[in-house]
Amino acid sequence: MTGERTFQKFKRLIPKKAFLLWLDSLKKDYKLIGPVKTGNHAVFKEVDSSEELFMEYGTTMLSPGKLFLYKPNEELFRFAMNGKITIDEIAPIAEKQVIVGVHPCDVNAILYLDRIFLRTFKDTHYEARRKNTVIISLNCARVSENCFCSSVGAGPFLHAASGYDMLLTDFENEYLVEIKSREAEELFGLEGRVAGRDEMRVKAEKEKSMQGKFTKTINVSGLDNIFAENMEHPVWQQTAEEKCLSCANCVMVCPTCFCYDLRDEMSMDLKTVTRYRCFDACQDIRFAEVHGGNFRQRRAARLRQFVTHKLDQTNQYGVSATVGCGRCITWCPTGIDLTEITKEIQRYEPA
Amino acid sequence: MNKLRLGFFKYSCCMGCSYFFAYVHKHVPEVLASFDFVFIKLLSRKGIPEGPFDIALVEGTITEAWQVDELKMIREQSKKLFAVGSCAVIGGIPAIKATTPELEIEKRVYKNLSSIHSIKPHAVDAYVKVDGYIRGCPPAERDLYEALTSVLTGRKPDFPQYSVCIECKLKGNLCVLIADNMPCMGPVTNAGCGALCPSMNRACYSCFGPMKQANAPALAKKFKAMGISRDDIIRKFTEFGADTIEFRKAVETVYED
Amino acid sequence: MNPLRPLTARIEDIKTEAEGVKTYTLSTKFPFRAEPGQFNMVGYPGVGEAPISLSAIMQDGSFKHTIKSVGRVTDFLKDFKKGDELFFRGPYGRGWPVKKAEKKDILIIAGGVGLAPLRPVIQTVLAQRESFGDVSLIYGARDEKNMLFMNEFNEWAEKTAVYLTVDEAVQPDRWKHHIGLVTDLIDRVKIKPERAIAFVCGPEIMMRFICRGLIIHGMSQSSLYVSLERRMKCGIAQCGHCQHSGLFVCKDGPVFSYKEVRGLPDGVL
Repeated sequence: MTGERTFQKFKRLIPKKAFLLWLDSLKKDYKLIGPVKTGNHAVFKEVDSSEELFMEYGTTMLSPGKLFLYKPNEELFRFAMNGKITIDEIAPIAEKQVIVGVHPCDVNAILYLDRIFLRTFKDTHYEARRKNTVIISLNCARVSENCFCSSVGAGPFLHAASGYDMLLTDFENEYLVEIKSREAEELFGLEGRVAGRDEMRVKAEKEKSMQGKFTKTINVSGLDNIFAENMEHPVWQQTAEEKCLSCANCVMVCPTCFCYDLRDEMSMDLKTVTRYRCFDACQDIRFAEVHGGNFRQRRAARLRQFVTHKLDQTNQYGVSATVGCGRCITWCPTGIDLTEITKEIQRYEPA
Repeated sequence: MNKLRLGFFKYSCCMGCSYFFAYVHKHVPEVLASFDFVFIKLLSRKGIPEGPFDIALVEGTITEAWQVDELKMIREQSKKLFAVGSCAVIGGIPAIKATTPELEIEKRVYKNLSSIHSIKPHAVDAYVKVDGYIRGCPPAERDLYEALTSVLTGRKPDFPQYSVCIECKLKGNLCVLIADNMPCMGPVTNAGCGALCPSMNRACYSCFGPMKQANAPALAKKFKAMGISRDDIIRKFTEFGADTIEFRKAVETVYED
Repeated sequence: MNPLRPLTARIEDIKTEAEGVKTYTLSTKFPFRAEPGQFNMVGYPGVGEAPISLSAIMQDGSFKHTIKSVGRVTDFLKDFKKGDELFFRGPYGRGWPVKKAEKKDILIIAGGVGLAPLRPVIQTVLAQRESFGDVSLIYGARDEKNMLFMNEFNEWAEKTAVYLTVDEAVQPDRWKHHIGLVTDLIDRVKIKPERAIAFVCGPEIMMRFICRGLIIHGMSQSSLYVSLERRMKCGIAQCGHCQHSGLFVCKDGPVFSYKEVRGLPDGVL
């Protein structure tokens, strides 16, 4: 068993050009997915060549985890409705894929999704894709306007021990490459230059200088109690009335929002019913509806559900559900900011 | 299996829903196999509007008194009645005049008012109970099949009640409101279209009408902050939804400012 | 196998319980085992699925659901006949702590269709009567027509104390029991707080007042159990629809101690 964890020692500096060429060499067995520039924004999508990659991106609207692992729409079953009903279970399609350039917040978001879909009940589609996906994370080199990952321990540098395959840190013309999984060790053939104590010190300095660049912060200590005691705080009703549109953009762009709906579609000839799963949002007025009532009829209650689920409720999975990516702030049409809501409540709180 | 008796009725509108239903959508043959078209005004052999009907589809806004009487009669003769298209569901384009007194509108359009008997425009459900809403202009294909198959299989139909944004994000579109600063109505508009316009890089203009409990005033404020003129904002909220509570609130907010 | 894949069950028997409420006896190829208080996702292709609690778990491996036709799924099921097949997945969730109730006095308090998830508890109690102390059932419904399991009360009354009430009697001259709220009847039971445990199911607002009433009688919050209703889509703590604060009603519940769920936002308990 010696050498089982040798990969953890792999810390080398690889010229960027060589690294990208290595990525291209994976194309024969893997789909290559990474950040691509479109207009003023970046999106994660499949590329034909590493030349298309835009590794200097800030943030994307949709996270790679909710595009390529937990899919927006997933066909689960097809029922043939001729006399005796037969169920056709759609087998997971999981092509081998490499997702490169995943920022620490998004890696942490994927680790969060693992808690939902790979525990007692394993989601077959998610599990298959997760197994066939190589995740290459990239430590952040710039802070976007709404990032607050440093406040919640999810960035700007990744410290998770496992659950992903490689970690890159930008060293100007080189990447500091750290191998984090057996699979990556087997895949990665480049030798490069061994990163010693000096290089690791440079990395730590880079992280430290990044920490100082955040303009958005949140104090997460004691949030569970503060929210629980301020469920009727005026900020909920006020934000719901003046700003919140219930449009669910926050939920849809959130990398850790996992809620889904199961829907049945019947073909017009009545012969087939397709049951599929798609993202659902707690902002939808019918989300918490039961016969004769709705547990979150008020818009304020739905807004509160989103914010508290992200920041409070660490009892659910033992970790906070926010990774501080700031997407819900960026893509909210009316600019609702959950860190501001939190500050408003904390300000109210008698010391 | 006996075919179900279907009637398609038309009030004040462009007849586009009938056209869509009879010619355009993907499963015309399957629909013909399951339903007997007892009456459709659009077709040359339109049939006789005589009940009973297993399913009545009604398009168009109610803008004249006789339409109310006929609609009530149809309701009595039909097991299920669905409002089809934005005119029937929310008032739609004919309801643009809802914000102006009726006589003023009549005078603006007609010289001789002696033969004009218009009433305030309203959606179908202002007068009769409706079993479901097939929204859109033209109507949502998926919702149309949902209504028809629900009648054929005896279940309650299920229509989306969330915002266009959800569909838009499911498709992976970059948000045109935030990224391109377009005055998109998606956040307050009922889904069903599959985010058609934003997918084509155009702002949603709310042809499906407001989603339930939509916070239209907040979006109107956002448009104002984006530099959209007062008149343009009012036009956005009255193009299809002038007769809806949600969008009226937005118009009131704009007037108040 | 996909955990969301439904199984087929054959309807062995259908019994009308009350207005719009039927009990379906179901059997599968494999004997079905579950705990009192658990639920299944019951459905049919085209209409979807709905969480329905088990109203009986039989020795022979069959099971029963008592269903009121109110929603999309339940309304569709009302026209099903004996011999038809429907689809289900389960059992899911945490049921009533029957083991914990052994040797204790049990108060079973239900309103309306809330009696259905408690019936397996009553059946367990009847089967092992000597394991439990005093057992009292307090049950209320809008009127006699909306009362479930009317023809079983006599049998239950042989071994337990049964208290019934209606909000309003349809035939007042024939109704020999109480008229009024369920809470009125709590006072009729002699509660020894230190050895009592209460299982409560009904509308949330009713459970709120029952629990508060029992606390006034000296019972502790952790000896009161309630079953919550939420609109689950998955039943396996993934879809998020039943999230109640940090809890998943489908996995952590549907049965909770009152202490766990008291005062949570978006609930009335």
